[in-house]
Parts: sequence; C-alpha cells; structure tokens
Amino acid sequence: MSTVKQPNSNESDAAPAMPPGRTWSLRARMIASALLLFQVCAVLYGPLSMPPTITTDALRPVFRPYNGATYQGNSYKFFSPDPGPSHLIRYELVNDKGEKTTGTFPDRKEEWPRLFYHRHFMLTEHLNQAMAPPAPDDPPPPADWTAIKTPPEQLRLAQSYANHLMHKYNATSATLWLVRHSIPTPDQAIKGMKLTDPTLYRERRLGSFALNQ
Amino acid sequence: MIELVTNYLRDLIRWVVTGWNRFWFTPEDPATLSVIRILAGGMLFYTHLVWSRGLEDFFSATSWISPEAALEMHGDNYPISYFWLINSPAGLWAVHIVALAAMLCLTLGLFTRPAAIVSWIAAISYVNRVPLAQFGLDQLNTMLCLYLIVGPSGACYSLDRWREKRNAQQKGWAIPPVRPSVSANIAIRLMQFHMCVIYFAAGLGKAQGESWWSGTAMWWALGNLEYQSMDLTWIAAWPLLTSLLTHATVFWELTFPVFVWNPKLRPLVIGMAIPVHLGIAFFMGMITFGLVMLFGCMSFVSPKLVRMVLDRAPAEQGRAGGEAPSRQTAQTRPISRRPAPVARATKRS
Repeated sequence: MSTVKQPNSNESDAAPAMPPGRTWSLRARMIASALLLFQVCAVLYGPLSMPPTITTDALRPVFRPYNGATYQGNSYKFFSPDPGPSHLIRYELVNDKGEKTTGTFPDRKEEWPRLFYHRHFMLTEHLNQAMAPPAPDDPPPPADWTAIKTPPEQLRLAQSYANHLMHKYNATSATLWLVRHSIPTPDQAIKGMKLTDPTLYRERRLGSFALNQ
Repeated sequence: MIELVTNYLRDLIRWVVTGWNRFWFTPEDPATLSVIRILAGGMLFYTHLVWSRGLEDFFSATSWISPEAALEMHGDNYPISYFWLINSPAGLWAVHIVALAAMLCLTLGLFTRPAAIVSWIAAISYVNRVPLAQFGLDQLNTMLCLYLIVGPSGACYSLDRWREKRNAQQKGWAIPPVRPSVSANIAIRLMQFHMCVIYFAAGLGKAQGESWWSGTAMWWALGNLEYQSMDLTWIAAWPLLTSLLTHATVFWELTFPVFVWNPKLRPLVIGMAIPVHLGIAFFMGMITFGLVMLFGCMSFVSPKLVRMVLDRAPAEQGRAGGEAPSRQTAQTRPISRRPAPVARATKRS
C-alpha cells in the first residue's frame, strides 16, 4: 500500500487536516482487476443468457455456478415483453369428514403488509409462467386459454401448493384452479367497464390432489 | 502504415489501462456508500422482518414450495441456502432471528463488515429457498448487500464510527479521520455498473414487447387490479399521456447507461428515476421495489453532495475539521503540486 502524496499545506488553500487516501500497489490492482472483470462479465451474463444463445451456452460452465450461488443470474426484464393479465389460484379443500374449505390467493385482506401479499402474488404468477418453451414440432396451443392442458411443470408446483394448503387446513384432498384476470381495453374502461367485471375472469383447472401425493 | 497502426494500438491500450485504473482504483470518500448501507440495510431488515408473518408457510418442509419443488426449479443451479438443512420450527426461528439481528447491525453500522457478510449469506439463503416468491426487490437487496461487503460501508454515519471516536476521546488521542478508500470506490462503481445493466436489460426486454412500441403498455400495467394501489383507470381516457409515459420509460431505461455518465445529464437521469420509481411504489403497490431501485441510484450521488446535505459541509469542501475527505487523485495520474483534492469538486463520471 502507498499513499497519495498531498501537497504541502503551505501550498494549498485546502483544509489543513485533509487525510491522504491509500492507493493500491500494482500487484493488488492486477489481482483486483481480474476479479472485477469476472464480476462484470458475470453480471452481464445474467440478462444475456435469457433466452440462451450459442455464446452464453458456451460460457455457461464459467458463470452459471457463480451466478447461481450469488443470485446474480437475473434477466431484469421487469414488465416485459408486455404487461399482461394477472393470475390467482382458487382452491377447494375437503377434510376427512367431507367438509369443504374454499379460498383464493393472493388475497389483500388476508395477506398484509403489502410485501407479504406480493409474495403470494408471485407464487401464482410464477406458476403461470412455469412451463418449458414449446419445441418447434409441438402443435400450437389451443386459442381458448381454459382448454390448455396443464403442463407437468405447473402440475408439480400445484401439487406443492396443494400439499401446503392441506397441511394448513387439515384437509385430505384439494382441487386448484388457475384464475386469469384480464385487463379491459382502454375503450372498455372508458365505456365504464370495471376492473372487477366478472367477464374479465376465466379459470382453468390445475388438478385434484391427495395429501402428499 | 504498420507504424501508424502500432502507435494507435499502443495509445489505445494505454488509454484503456489508464481509464480502468482511474475508474476502479481512485480512492473515494465512503460517505455515499455509508448512506446506501443505512438505506439498503434498512430495506433488507424490513424485507426479512415481513417473512416473520409466514416463516413456516414459506420455509418449513410443508411450505408453499416444498424443498423438493424448490430444488427442481433451480435445475442445475447451485442454490446455496442454509434452509435446506433446517427442518424444525425452532431452528427456522433461530436462524431468522440471527439474520434479522445481522441486518439491524448492518443498518446501524455496528460490526459493519461481519454484519454485511452474515446479512448477505442470509439474504441468499432466503431467495434460494423460495425462488417462486421472489421479484425485483430481492435481486436489488442481494446485489446491494454483496457490494456493501466490498467497501468500508460503516466508515461514516455508523455506530462503528461513533465507537471509534469515543475510544479516541477516552484515550486522549486525536480522532482518526475518515480516509478516502479504493474499496469504497470499487463498491460504488460495482453498484453503478450493475444499475446500468439492470436498466439496459429492462429497456431491451420492453423493446421486445408490442405494447411498449404501440404506447399502450402503461395502461396494461396501471390497469392491473392485482398490482394497483390507487385507481388509475381514468388514464384510459388520456391515450396520448399513456403513450408518452410508455415511450419515455423505454427511452430512459435504454439510455440510462449512456447518459448517466455525463456530468451534465446525470442529475436529469437520476432525477427521472424519482418519479418513475415513486410511481411504481405508490401507484402499483410495490413500495419496497420502488424504493430499493432508488437506493441503487444513490450510488450515482457524489459523496460531496452527501456531505453537504448530511454534514452541512461547505460546497467547496468535504467537511470542516478534516472529517470528510474528497476524492483523491488516481495513482496513474502524475502526482505533483496540484491543488489539494479536497478543494476540488467531486465528479464521478
């Protein structure tokens, strides 16, 4: 370590007690530069690797473990490519006496403060997004969203959510529906359509689950 | 011709090396980093305090996302988390309380660096255990906490600093001054670079969307009942306003990493962040996310300005009494009879 030489106090109008800042030796700067270069590339790798490209696939063994461990491999694509409808999950639970419990999450009345509500909201949004990208020879999905067959990735998450609900409410079976809440067009809103209009809600059955299936 | 090319390449390499050294290795006043520690530490503490509402609902074996489902979501990632090892509610609460204590220490600047390390390990453990409950807030929280480890974030406005002063006074010694530090500069530079990547990636992502081109995206975002915390459906009657807001957002995000380095434009670029993120915070219900983005933007605020506001330091001086140094000259620059850096305006560009 060395210090930056300060001008003699007689030569300067600066505050007399100005402390010098320590600069780094060439060796320290070279080691730090290598680490910084790696960090900078790792940060860039996150958004560049989503979706994967030939280049990012080749660099995957270098950056993926580090980014995975440090939670840096994010794409940072907030509200993109397009903001769209939101998703909720409606559930119906049945206990061993045949009694039913129903509910929906996220629910602002139950989940507070707002951040806690948002955690539940992310559970449903991420479930909706959890599906493998279609293969080139896959048939196009049906135009009717409610007719889409639940993909296995969503099914596994729905099972986990259902298990949690059954443990929490002492139920033995659960049925879950994914509810899509669409947004009215600006024209519809101008004509008076409310954001809670029943026609904006559609639901798709995720499945029925037994405890610890 | 060959000589011309050789000379150009030699000059280019020299320019790059000099610029790299100046950018990363110039000692910097840790005032800005210390303020970010208070803000980001406070956000970390609050974010994790809120987990107390549903600790077992989210982190136990029978949580929303079972450990098996969470590991499956990670695929071939390396999701480091101590929650994989904890099964009992008592164990969950014990590590939760330790994490909260570390985050509180970080906020207050008590045993700052160890507290930052523990806070970061804890924050990573939470996000990796419940990957499906995360969003932008957690990405910013972990990013800022990581860089707070790098620099002396407890050098100012902290209990560590208060203890240091008190010890010196008790022993009759002179109060040690806060020195400019290379690691403070590195931490701030990493934050700045990361913020640029975040905004550029966000802008590029939006450029892929049809509604961001047509100018309607802002309506689809503000008209979402599950997000909104204030009824903004009236904006549907103002398509020109919606369109302008939409295009301005994309333009600002895409140009952020360029314009923010220009000293003349930086106040405008950072100034624009305030309405954008406060809008997200108060209209779309994501107060924590909106604020943490602003905390990240704080890295572009010069320590001199921080000193002026918090220490009431004169504009041309860091702070009276030698407490606050300004930026030092880079080692790569000739060290000569230049005016003392404390009397020079601090620019980070």
